[in-house]
Amino acid sequence: MAFRRILTLFALALLVLSGFAAPSLRAQAELPESAVVSTEWLAARLDDPKVRVVEVSVVPGLFERGHIPGAVNFVWHTDLVDPVIRDIASPEAFQALVRAAGINEDTTVVLYGDNNNWFAAWGAWIFSIYGHEDVRLLDGGRAKWEREGRAVSVRPTSHPEGNFTAKELRRELRAFLPDVLAVVKGENEGVIVDIRSVAEYEGRIFAPEGFQELAIRAGHIPTAVNVPWGRAVNEDGTFKSVEELRELYAAVGVDGSKKVYVYCRIGERSSHTWFVLSKILGYNVAQYDGSWTEWGNAVGVPIENPAGTVWGKQ
Amino acid sequence: MSETTIGGGAQAASTSLRNPNTAAAVRVGLAGLIAAALLALAFSLHDTPGRGAAASFSLLVGVALGVIFQRGRFCFFCILRDYIEHRNSSGLFAILSALAVGGIGYVIVFGAFMPNPSGQGLPPDAHIGPVSWVLVAGGIAFGLGMALSGACISGHLYRLGEGYTRAPLALFGALIGFGVGFFTWYTLYVETLSVAPIAWLPKTFGYGGSLAVHLAILSVIGIFLLRRAPELPAQAGGKITLQRLYQSLFVTRWNPLVTGALVGVVGMFAYFRVSPLGVTSQLGSLTRTTLNNAGLLADRLPGLDTFAGCATRVVETITNNGFLIGGLVAGALAIALFTNRFQLSRLTLRGALTALLGGALMGWGAMVSLGCTVGTLLSGISAFALSGWVFGGAVFVGVWLGIKLRLPE
Repeated sequence: MAFRRILTLFALALLVLSGFAAPSLRAQAELPESAVVSTEWLAARLDDPKVRVVEVSVVPGLFERGHIPGAVNFVWHTDLVDPVIRDIASPEAFQALVRAAGINEDTTVVLYGDNNNWFAAWGAWIFSIYGHEDVRLLDGGRAKWEREGRAVSVRPTSHPEGNFTAKELRRELRAFLPDVLAVVKGENEGVIVDIRSVAEYEGRIFAPEGFQELAIRAGHIPTAVNVPWGRAVNEDGTFKSVEELRELYAAVGVDGSKKVYVYCRIGERSSHTWFVLSKILGYNVAQYDGSWTEWGNAVGVPIENPAGTVWGKQ
Repeated sequence: MSETTIGGGAQAASTSLRNPNTAAAVRVGLAGLIAAALLALAFSLHDTPGRGAAASFSLLVGVALGVIFQRGRFCFFCILRDYIEHRNSSGLFAILSALAVGGIGYVIVFGAFMPNPSGQGLPPDAHIGPVSWVLVAGGIAFGLGMALSGACISGHLYRLGEGYTRAPLALFGALIGFGVGFFTWYTLYVETLSVAPIAWLPKTFGYGGSLAVHLAILSVIGIFLLRRAPELPAQAGGKITLQRLYQSLFVTRWNPLVTGALVGVVGMFAYFRVSPLGVTSQLGSLTRTTLNNAGLLADRLPGLDTFAGCATRVVETITNNGFLIGGLVAGALAIALFTNRFQLSRLTLRGALTALLGGALMGWGAMVSLGCTVGTLLSGISAFALSGWVFGGAVFVGVWLGIKLRLPE
C-alpha cells in the first residue's frame, strides 16, 4: 500500500516537473492562419471586401455598444439555432442570414465573440456544416481586441447581398445520440471527449455554477475522456500552440487516428474543442450537440457516474 | 405632516452650527469632499477588473441625475401634486421635455443599434414591457404609494440627499414591496404576463413615424397643460455676468424645460453606453438576493429574466445600477449642501408609517411593472413602448386618487 502511494507520488512529481520544463523546450509552432487569425492580422484587413467579420456574442447589447468596425451581428439564440425545435439553423434560414451579411462563396469569414469565442465557434461549426470552407476564429476573441485598445464602432454596417449557397449538410461533422451510443458499445470506432469541467464529468454537479439543472442524471458518457475546454487556451484566451494542443489531447488518447466525438452541456463549449481538434489539428471530429442535456435525460442509455450523485435525493 | 420646504433659498438653516459663516464653510467643504470622493471612485472603478467603464459611467450618470433632479426639483410626485392640488402645470413641462428629448435621443441610438425596426426582435435591453391589467394595477399601486410616502422612488433617492427623513423608510418599504412582488410574480406571469402583448410603436410606424406620433402626443398634452401654466417672474434684461450665471446655476430653481431636456439627454447617453435609466434594479436585486439566501424564494422566477426592464437578479455584489443610485443620492447631497438646501426634516410616527406603507406599495408596483417612474415611464416612453404610456397613465390615476383620498396629509 505504502509502496503504491510512493509510486503514485513519484509519478505525479514527474508529471508536474515535465509540465514545468516543457514550455521552454517546446518549439512554438504557429497556429494555422487558415483557422485562427490574430488581432493584428484582422486589423490590417478591415477594409478588405473579401474578409467579413461576424460577431457571435451572448450578452445582449454588447455588439450594439461597440463592435469591430464593419462586423455584422449573428444572434446565437435565434440565428444559429432553430428557435422552435431543438436543432441547428435550417439551411434556408442560414443561407438567408449569411447572404444578408454580404458573404459570398469565396469570402473569408472571421468570427469572434464574448465568452472565449464559445458561440463564435458554434458559428464556425455551422458555417462548416453548410459547406463554407474559409471560416476562421479571431484569436482571443472580443476580450483581446478590447484589451489591446483597438477601435470599435457603433455604426451599423450594411453589405450588398452575398451569393453564398448552403451546401448539402456535412453529416460527418455532427453526431446524434445513436452515433455516440454505437461508439460506447464498440460497434463504431471512435473516441469521445467530454469537455465539461471535472466536477460535471465526475457527476458531482448537474450543471456548472449559475446554470439551471437541465439534466436529471449526473456523470458522463461511458468511455469518454475528460479535457475541459479551457485547457486549450492560454490565460488571455488565445489558443495554445499547435504542439501544446497536440500533446494535451494525445495524453488522453486523442491523436487523430480515430474519429473524435466532442460534447458538453448544450454544445456551445464543445464547439470550441471541435474547432481546436478539427480546424487547428486537422482531426476528423464530429460534435454531439445534443450533449449532456440530451444524454443525461435519455432513457436507457448507459452512464458513468463516479460521484454517484442521485438527482432529487434529499 | 411635515414636508421639507425646498426652494426656500438661503434662509433655510442647514446645520446646528450657530455662526452662519462657519456653517457655510462646513457645507461647502463637505460638498467639495463628496464631489472629490465621487470623482476618485469613478476613476478607480474604471481601473477595477470586472468593473470598468460601465460602472464608472453609471456612477457619473447617477451623480448627474442627482444634481439635475435636485436643482430642477424633478420629483414626479411633487410635479403631479402641483398640478392636481395647486393647478400648476409648470413641473409637468419638465416631464414632457424629458420625453421629447429622450424620444429624439432614442431614435438616434436605435438607428445605430437596430437599423431596421420591422425585423425580428426588439432593440437590446430597451424598456419595452408587456401590457396588461397587471401593468395598470402596478401603476395605480405605485401612484398611491407615491401619494402616501411623499415621493416616487427616484424622488426619495434624491430627497434623501436633501435630508428628507421619510426617504430611507420609504426605500426600506420598497424593499419589502419588492419581496411581496416576487411572491406574486409566478401567478401573474403564468396567468397574464406570459401571454400579454409587447407593443413597440416602431414595429408599425418605423422610427420616423413613431417619433412624429410621439412628439404630436406630447405637444397635444403640452397645449392642454398651458391652461394651468403659472405666471413667470419678470426677467431682467442686461448682460450675463458671472454673478447671474452663478445665480441661475446654484440659486434659482432650474427652468422645467431645461431640467427635462437634461434628463432626456442623460437618458440617451445612459442607454447608449450602459443601459436605459432605471433606479429599482439594485433595490429589487437586494430583496431577491436576501430572500434567495434565506431559502424563501426559488432560484428562478419564470419569465422574469426574459423581460427587458429594471431586471432583478440574485447578486452578491453592487451592480452598475447600484453605483447609479449611489451616485444619485451622493450627487443630490453634494449639490444640496452646496446650495444650502440640505435640511433634516422632522419625522413623525405617522409620517414614518405612511412612508413605509407607501414604499411597500411602490415596491410591489415597480416589481410587477418591471420598473418605476424612471425605468418604465421615462425610459419606456422614450423608447416608444406602449407599456410606458400605460404605466404613466396608471401612475397619474393612482396619485390623483391618493390626493383625493387625502393620503399625503
